[in-house]
Amino acid sequence: MTSFVKSVLAACAWLVAHARPIQLGSIRNSVPIDFMSLRNAIDLTATITTPENIQFEYRIAGPFRRIPAFLVDLIVRIATFLGVFFLVACSGIVQLFPFLSQFATIGVVVLLTYFMIDWFYGVFFETYWNGRTIGKWISKIQVISVDGRPISSYQATIRNFLRLADLAPMMSLEALLANDAPPLFVVPTGLVATVCMSITSRFQRLGDLAAGTMVVVDERAWVPPKVKLEDPRVSSLADLIPANFMMSRPMVRAVALYAERRMRMPVARRMELSAILAAPLMAQLGIRSDTSPDLFLCALYYREFVARPISIVESDAIDVGIPISQKTPVKYATESNLDPQPTTSSASPAIETSPQLPSGETP
Amino acid sequence: MRTVELLERRRQGWYELDSMCDKYRNFSSLKRPIAAEVTRFAALYRAACTDLAMAENLKLPPTTIDYLHRLVGRAHSHLYRSHRLPTSLWWTYIFETMPKAVFNDPCVKITGIIFFGLFSLAAMLSWAEGTFPKFGETILGKDQIRQLEGSFEKPLSGNIDQYASMAAFYIQHNTSIGLECFALGPLLIPSLFKLAYNAIVLGASFGYMARPDVAAGDTFFEFVTAHGVFELTAISLSAAAGLRLGIGWIVTDGLSRVDAFRVSAKKALPIILVAVALFILAAFTEGFISPSPLPYALKALFVIASASLLMFYFVILGYPKDGESNQQEGLT
Repeated sequence: MTSFVKSVLAACAWLVAHARPIQLGSIRNSVPIDFMSLRNAIDLTATITTPENIQFEYRIAGPFRRIPAFLVDLIVRIATFLGVFFLVACSGIVQLFPFLSQFATIGVVVLLTYFMIDWFYGVFFETYWNGRTIGKWISKIQVISVDGRPISSYQATIRNFLRLADLAPMMSLEALLANDAPPLFVVPTGLVATVCMSITSRFQRLGDLAAGTMVVVDERAWVPPKVKLEDPRVSSLADLIPANFMMSRPMVRAVALYAERRMRMPVARRMELSAILAAPLMAQLGIRSDTSPDLFLCALYYREFVARPISIVESDAIDVGIPISQKTPVKYATESNLDPQPTTSSASPAIETSPQLPSGETP
Repeated sequence: MRTVELLERRRQGWYELDSMCDKYRNFSSLKRPIAAEVTRFAALYRAACTDLAMAENLKLPPTTIDYLHRLVGRAHSHLYRSHRLPTSLWWTYIFETMPKAVFNDPCVKITGIIFFGLFSLAAMLSWAEGTFPKFGETILGKDQIRQLEGSFEKPLSGNIDQYASMAAFYIQHNTSIGLECFALGPLLIPSLFKLAYNAIVLGASFGYMARPDVAAGDTFFEFVTAHGVFELTAISLSAAAGLRLGIGWIVTDGLSRVDAFRVSAKKALPIILVAVALFILAAFTEGFISPSPLPYALKALFVIASASLLMFYFVILGYPKDGESNQQEGLT
């Protein structure tokens, strides 16, 4: 199915899921929704599984990053062409070919430069600069294969040669300038690329489809800040929450996002935002309704990420070697004496809600 | 061990990895990083991978998992970088893959028939002035005919300046036409239109010039003899590569349409590369040999040699060897 339809469906599903009164801990009597795949459909990420069996996501670059990159590349190409022209015209390079007249030398060099830049600019840069051109470097995007491998020279060639089809259909110069302009069909509309990108799942244009490549964002992602729970009442409030209450995965996500971002909001905004989730939840869990909703969400965060011990096996002690700047070994490792028991599936209670009914309930 | 403590321990390594990625994004990535950096980068990457893989077990906050996804993705594409041109494979590619791709592809035959068929048809219609009195003039237009005749009225001569700049012009102009023919292939119709247009216009010009009453005809044929073989083959081949691309949408061989398109692109690339090489050869011939006042016998000899060369390249090198099927296995 196409990504557009998928995103629309996903958005509808999300709306349906959230139109009910707030979803509490274990989702009961409702269709389980695969939130991960929904998120992928909305966020347009591409999931890659490497041969080492590591799964991670790339963020796909949309047209609003790629069009600026294209325009910058266009400017760079024109500038390079003009630069070569003036260099050849003004410098002594023309003397290198004594058998040619100055005029002919300039003509030859300019024509060949134009040809090379016109067809091989992208091929050259993407092959030698890890899937980047100057425009892509500025818009912080990069071309990779759809399977996550780096782009090969073959792929770079195909996707750059086919750019012409992506820019089609060409518009006449008459439409852009005045009526007396020559009827040259030279103005690209890029309709083919636009349509193609909107119906493929990875925003691929025709050239990308043919080469099996995609354009991903290569940018420092938003770093979740350290969460400061300065209020001493947080831990005592966390104790009040019933021990058998489990948060669903989307709720964990919402709480974590809130806790990480609340320091940037004014107090009134915190109250307003946190009450949306906290108020119905406190009512259900039997917590006094005059409790601050902000405090309550902090308590949930505290309970989930600060109070709950996690089990780590010894092999998880990762030695990341010696930093280049400082010559002391740094171990971002866990002391094995903290939690010596090995991880088992039963040792850690699962965060995610199971579609089964809770054991206490009889249908 | 709590999640927050773990985050504090790991965070530094993640930030360092992110900064290294930032650094390798820049132009400095074009030169080789020092060994210590590479080791460090790989270690940090492994650590981040482990953290991501263990995210469920470590009970990391979902936002942190998102961050790790992006971080590992970034680091992955910096660790595994694009390779340079595989120069060691060139010999095999040029002398085995490319001729075989051309010889075995039915699209080459189809565009060959279309191009040379339309070319001959237009030439005949344009030549037979008595039967089709208006054809040549209608196709070419009065101005173009005058220009064509004008440029071949004088006998061929020139100097090195003209030769070199004309060769450069033909490289740029004709190869661009060929590459456009290929690039428009996925849309099928524009590519075939370009091919047919070139066939008909060229054919009409040839036919017009072959008329007995056209004075410039002899010079014209002396001019086109030398490079004709290279150039006409090249335009036909570039359309064949384009057709191969476009056919991928239609003839899927059981693959999905997108996959079939990708496979056909892989088959089309060697053909268009042959075409580009032929265009460049044709441009040099057209620039230096065709307009020169060399005796016609030498030019005829050249065209015989170039035709035999192409025959050898396409048929002898391209013919499937024993054990290879006639289909395009091994190319995909």
